[in-house]
Amino acid sequence: MAEQQRASSSESLRSTRTFGKVRCHNPSCMGRLSPSPGSKEISCPTCGMTYRLFWVTPELPRIRGPVWDVNRKLAQDTLAKKIGTSDSDSN
Amino acid sequence: MEKFLTVDADKCTGCRLCEQVCSVMHEGVSNPAKSRIQVVKWEQEGVYIPVICKQCEDAPCMNVCPVRAISRDPDFGFMKVDQEVCIGCRSCVGICPFGAMGYNPTTRQVFKCDLCGGDPQCVRFCEVNAVEFVPVDRVSTQKKRRGAARQSAAERQATALG
Amino acid sequence: MALDRKIAYINLSTREVEIKPIPLEMRKKFIGGRGMDAYLLYNHAPEGCDPLGPENPLIVSGGLLTATCASATARTHVMAKSPLTNLLGSCNMGGFFAPELAWSGFHHLVITGKSDKPVYLWVHNGEIEIRDAEYLWGKNSTDTQWAIRDELDDQEIKSMVIGQAGENQVTYACVMTGIKNAGGRTGMGCVMGSKNLKAVAVRGTMDVKIAHPMDALEHNKKFIDQITSAKVNQIQGALGTPFIWGATNCWGGVRTRNFQYNQMEYADEIEPEAIDDIATETIGPHHMTGCFGCQVHCRAQYKIQSGLYAGKYDEGPEYTSLGAFGAEPDCKSAETVLTGNHLVNQYGVDNLEIGSMIAWAMELYELGILTQKETEGIDLRFGNDEALLQMVHNICTRTGWLGNVLADGGIPAAEKIGKNAFDYLIQVKGMNNLHSDERATPGLALNIATASRGSDHLRSRPAIDLYHLPEPVLRKIYGSPVPYDGPLSSEHTEYIGKSWQVFWQENVYMAVDCLGICKYHTVFLGATLPNFEDWPKVIYYNTGLEFTPKEIWDAAERCNNLERLFNLREGLTRNDPKKGDTLNHRYFDEPCRRGAPDVIGKKIDRDKFNVMIDEFYDHHGWDKEGVPTSETLQRLGLENEPTRLL
Repeated sequence: MAEQQRASSSESLRSTRTFGKVRCHNPSCMGRLSPSPGSKEISCPTCGMTYRLFWVTPELPRIRGPVWDVNRKLAQDTLAKKIGTSDSDSN
Repeated sequence: MEKFLTVDADKCTGCRLCEQVCSVMHEGVSNPAKSRIQVVKWEQEGVYIPVICKQCEDAPCMNVCPVRAISRDPDFGFMKVDQEVCIGCRSCVGICPFGAMGYNPTTRQVFKCDLCGGDPQCVRFCEVNAVEFVPVDRVSTQKKRRGAARQSAAERQATALG
Repeated sequence: MALDRKIAYINLSTREVEIKPIPLEMRKKFIGGRGMDAYLLYNHAPEGCDPLGPENPLIVSGGLLTATCASATARTHVMAKSPLTNLLGSCNMGGFFAPELAWSGFHHLVITGKSDKPVYLWVHNGEIEIRDAEYLWGKNSTDTQWAIRDELDDQEIKSMVIGQAGENQVTYACVMTGIKNAGGRTGMGCVMGSKNLKAVAVRGTMDVKIAHPMDALEHNKKFIDQITSAKVNQIQGALGTPFIWGATNCWGGVRTRNFQYNQMEYADEIEPEAIDDIATETIGPHHMTGCFGCQVHCRAQYKIQSGLYAGKYDEGPEYTSLGAFGAEPDCKSAETVLTGNHLVNQYGVDNLEIGSMIAWAMELYELGILTQKETEGIDLRFGNDEALLQMVHNICTRTGWLGNVLADGGIPAAEKIGKNAFDYLIQVKGMNNLHSDERATPGLALNIATASRGSDHLRSRPAIDLYHLPEPVLRKIYGSPVPYDGPLSSEHTEYIGKSWQVFWQENVYMAVDCLGICKYHTVFLGATLPNFEDWPKVIYYNTGLEFTPKEIWDAAERCNNLERLFNLREGLTRNDPKKGDTLNHRYFDEPCRRGAPDVIGKKIDRDKFNVMIDEFYDHHGWDKEGVPTSETLQRLGLENEPTRLL
């Protein structure tokens, strides 16, 4: 079998991995957010969505969930604007 | 410096990659039945314990061998089977208190851990470090450190509760 | 030759067993595992056969790399005609069963016929025995496995079993192995139950030969490093698959209250981190367990802390259980999720399907389509944890009118319930969706609509589409091994280029299922994980077979086309709401009301969706009805199927 020394696409993409950051989960935003080590929350400076964080390792944060009161308000305002109703029976 | 294989069963995820790489390394095949290390499981409770040769000082396998096929390797300190001498009587398999001695039905001889000549593959592949290869002078210092950390954490928790 | 592998044909009616070698030329065309199973199904299942009849073959297999010195070759694949969809039935599970099958000397079992009393198969070092299983009938999935070990006096036996759900022929019953490894989808456990086959027990101490052992060993180390160094797998190794919940529930991709909402608000108690906090033996780096040879170790272990089942040990919950016992029925309790997960593991039933069925029934109940008369007094409203768990029992044991009806699967149940119940059933080809909501993600919607086994995320989901990867990265991944210079878009709410991504993913997942390795070791949740270009060396070192990346792609495409041919033969047509490549009308009609601002208001555009389907068919070389053209069949060497070479 011919020995291929060229890196495969997955190997060559390895250098694109970023650590210590999370992404905003608003689709058109998706901005990279850099939380300070160990912090519990982070807000997206662009769209305002705010997240609770969990640190898998001291270098590896992940988004645990939304800060509900903040993100729910953003959602309801958008819903009222786009569809003209609020999410009234939301619990 | 002589080194020991040590097992921390709390870390073992039970994946048995160690068995796979051991049999490939030593026999050129994948077959856990021919692996020098085996993970014993109580799946009902989620308990997984890797079982390895302890390279005993007063080794029953060596003592029981009628043809003196088992001896200590002068360089690495592990107990070694001389395959030229082994007659396949399996006395060592019967007497080993840990079940660490294996019998290969293909070659009809016994086999055991030889520390892969100083680079144990089970250790190399175990990313959770359930099996480690540590210098003889560090075996108990590492355990002391871990034990002390556990005890201290428990004490802190007890204080908090009190 | 390294590849002296065997297939066994077992007829439970005549109790005959035939063992044959698997010809090497079959490997080049169908690789192994799911691909070879698709060949066997197409060749052995008579057209239009009754899924619960003796002639439906139940095919059990390991992949080409199973038990070799490659990473995570743990997957067992099971195929038959599905009693849930009456189309392709196919499921895949981890654990230790497939490697043990390989060490026992077999890579494929084809089980036909029907035993007149309960039996199990005992597969041991090249021999197969049909044994009495009357004493096992009625036992749950784990007790069955331990009882077989005790009977045969070997604690190393691995068994693939059914629980009571399979015995009772719930059409979405699982096959199970270990504590929680489940071949869940399409009711393969129901097929086993129909054959009176309680278990397949295997134990082997035979060699699986490695063509180039030291090369395989060295390469495996490098390969594993590529896999475990990915962030996604480090998170997965700490939290298990529920890690997906955090992101998905943030932006609004979690199907809640059947299909009323796309996000479960304030459900902090069932987040994986919260479950880790409340259960003493659960999620966390040292409470994780792995399948054979896998360093990702994504299976959590737990003990239920409270309630009727307090103290019970189990594994999971997986992401899907958070949906089945959390979001869909709108229950916010960790105790309910852990208990529900335990019940489905013990009964041996698909958590995705049962959770979805109960949530559907809850919506029907709140709409008045079902009343207390049909539920026999159960207050089946959303958020009623007790009713949810009671329905799990009732379905698995076929207790009560509704339990019995729901056990038949969505489409038959909709017919029995009547009115417009079907309109609320979130299914494709008769199989319900998991708790994901694809209204904001057209690529993912295309995936579930066209997946060969019905609504499913593991056949072709372009999950990395959610990461907003830059276009050059997408080109690097999706432009190989077959050149692609059409459109691609980083926007996952767009329709652009998604048909190609789904087509590419369909081939990559088929290849993985043929090789017998886990999807977490390829481009599924991580963009930098191995794919076609990485596999030739692994295959060569382990088996001695030479494949180019393009040959693996071609084989995957061939196998996907075989699955398509089977589905077409069994009645699939493009626009059939019950057997087609379609979605529930709610995807097109009801906009998302929760989640990230950009997700709110999103729904699938019918016209754009149809264009995506056209494109998707076109990539395959299928006509507008989704039928492979004769040129396509010739290109793939399928023009003469069925060829009955195995």
